[in-house]
Amino acid sequence: MRPTTSRYPLIWRVLDGLEAAAARLWPRRFTRATPVLMLAPSLLLVLLLVIGLVELGDSSLRELDTSTFRLSATWTGANYLKIATSGLYWTVIWKSLFGALVVTALSLILAFPYAYMMVRTRSGLLRKLLLVALFLPFFIGQVVRAYGWLIILGNQGVVNDLLGLVGVAPVRLLYNYPAVLFGLVQYMLPFAVLMLAPALTAIPAELEAAAASLGANWVKTLTRVVLPLARPGLIGAGLVVLTLTLTDFAMPAILGGGSQDFIANAIYDQFFRTSDQGLGSALALVLVAIGSLLVGAVFTLFGAGTLAMGRQR
Amino acid sequence: MPDALAKRLIFGTLVLLVVIVLSLPTIVVLGASFTAGNIIAFPPEGFSLKWYEKIALAADLRNAFGRSLLVALVCTLIALPAGTLAGLAFAKYRLRFTTVLQTYLLLPFTVPLIGSGIALMLVFGQMRLLGQVWPVGLAACIINLPFMIWAVSSSALGLDPDLEWAAQSCGAPPVSTFLYVTLPAVMPGVISGGLLMFILALNEFLVSLLLTDARTVTLPVQIYNSIRSIITPDLAAVSVVFIAAAAFFVFVLDRLVGLDIFLKSK
Repeated sequence: MRPTTSRYPLIWRVLDGLEAAAARLWPRRFTRATPVLMLAPSLLLVLLLVIGLVELGDSSLRELDTSTFRLSATWTGANYLKIATSGLYWTVIWKSLFGALVVTALSLILAFPYAYMMVRTRSGLLRKLLLVALFLPFFIGQVVRAYGWLIILGNQGVVNDLLGLVGVAPVRLLYNYPAVLFGLVQYMLPFAVLMLAPALTAIPAELEAAAASLGANWVKTLTRVVLPLARPGLIGAGLVVLTLTLTDFAMPAILGGGSQDFIANAIYDQFFRTSDQGLGSALALVLVAIGSLLVGAVFTLFGAGTLAMGRQR
Repeated sequence: MPDALAKRLIFGTLVLLVVIVLSLPTIVVLGASFTAGNIIAFPPEGFSLKWYEKIALAADLRNAFGRSLLVALVCTLIALPAGTLAGLAFAKYRLRFTTVLQTYLLLPFTVPLIGSGIALMLVFGQMRLLGQVWPVGLAACIINLPFMIWAVSSSALGLDPDLEWAAQSCGAPPVSTFLYVTLPAVMPGVISGGLLMFILALNEFLVSLLLTDARTVTLPVQIYNSIRSIITPDLAAVSVVFIAAAAFFVFVLDRLVGLDIFLKSK
C-alpha cells in the first residue's frame, strides 16, 4: 500500500525542508537576535563602503612624491594644507556651494506649485499627467538629459535655430555657469517634488478653506498656513537637492564643458588626470565633511523629518 | 472671485513652465533620433529610422547596453533580499541603537556619490575586482540601498503585527509565516523598490565612470564619452533606449502600485 504522504503536495515538502533548515541554522533560542540577522546583509554591504572611506582617509594623509609618483610612507597633513592655502580649491568649493544654494532655492520655488497642484487638483487626469511628466525624466539618467540640453542650447541648437529665424545672431548658451545651474534645476525638480508632495498631502484642505473663510486671501493662506505646515517636506526636499547638487559631477562636466568645475570634477581630475591620489582623497573627504556637516546640522536642528526610516517617533 | 483666479493663474503658469522644462530634453532627443539628415537640426530633416539601424549594427553600443543590463540585474538581485529584510527589521522591531543603525545605513545616501565611488574603487582595486562588470552592479546596489530600505519600510508600516501572530497561532512555522503573511503585505514596497534599484543602476553614470575601463564601459559612460567629441543623431537613437526603459517602468509602476502612492503622507 502506498503511504498517504504521497498526496502531500510538493510545495509543502519544499516548505518543510525550508522550515527544518531554518530551524537548524537559526534555532528558536536565537529569536531575540533575528532583527540583527535581518539587518546583516545590508550592514555588510555598507561595510564595504566604510572600508573604502577608511582607505580614502589613509591615502589623504599621504603626499605624492612627484619624482617617484608614489605616495609617502608616513602620514602628513600636507594635502589638507595644500587645499586650505590654494585659492583654486576655495574658488571651486564656493562655486559649488553657491550653485547648490541657488539650485535648491529655485528647485523649491518651482517644485512647490507643482507638488501643490498635483496633490490638490480634483482632476484625476491632470494628476496622472503631472505624475507622468515628473517620473519620466526622473527615470532617465543625467547623461541623456544633459545630452538633450546640448541639442537644445548648442550653437547650432534648437534655440539658436529659432532665434536665427527671427534674425538674431547665435548666442553662446552652453558651457557657462548659468547653463550648469539650469541643467541642475531640471535634474533636481523631480526629487524636490517627490519629497514635497507627501508633506502637502498631510495638510487637510479644510484648513485652507477655514483660513479663507476667516478672511485670509490666498497669499496669506499660503504663507501663514500651508508653508509652515509643509516645513518638514521643504526641509527634506531642500536637503536632498542641496547635497545632490553640491556633489554633482555630470552636469558641470557636460553643460559646463570643463570650464565650470564643481568639487566632484576637481576630485575626478586629481585621480584620473594628475594621478595624485593623496590630494584627490583629501578633497573627497573635505566634500564628505561639508556634506555631512550640512546634513547633520539640519538633522539635529529639525530632525530627520521625511527622511526617517521605519517608525516615526 | 478674482482672488482665486490670480492664484490659479500664477500656479498654472509655474506648473506649465516646469512641465515644459521637464519634458523638453526627452521630446528633443526623441525628435532628433528620427531625423533623416546627418546632423541634428531643428526642425528635423524628414523622417527615417536609419540611425536606429546604425546603432543596432554597432557592436560597441550593443555590448555597452548588455553590460548596463547586467549591472542593473546584479544590483537588483542583491538589493531585493538585503533591502527587504532590513526594511522589515526597522518596521517590525523596536531595535536598540535605531538611530546609530539608521545613520550607518544612510551612509551611502549622505556620503557624496564621488566619495562613495572612489572609496569603492579603492576597495575593489585591492580585492582585484576592477575590470569586471558585476562589481559595478554591487557598487550600484550599495550606493542606492537606502532607497530600497525606504521603499520596504514605508510599506511595512501598514503591516499589522497581529496578522503574523494569528498565522503563528494557527500553527504556521516561521518561514511559512514570512512567505505567506509578511512578504505579501509589503509586496508593493518590494516591487517598487526593486524597480527603482533596477532603473537607477541602469542609468548609473558616475560610479560606472569610476569603476569601468575601456573594455567594461556601460551605456551611460559610452554616451558621455561620445558627446564630449561630436554630437551625431546616433546618440539620440541610443538615448531613446533609456527613454523607452523609463516609460516602461513608469507604466509598470503605475499598474503595480499606482503612481499616486508617492503622494501619500507617511
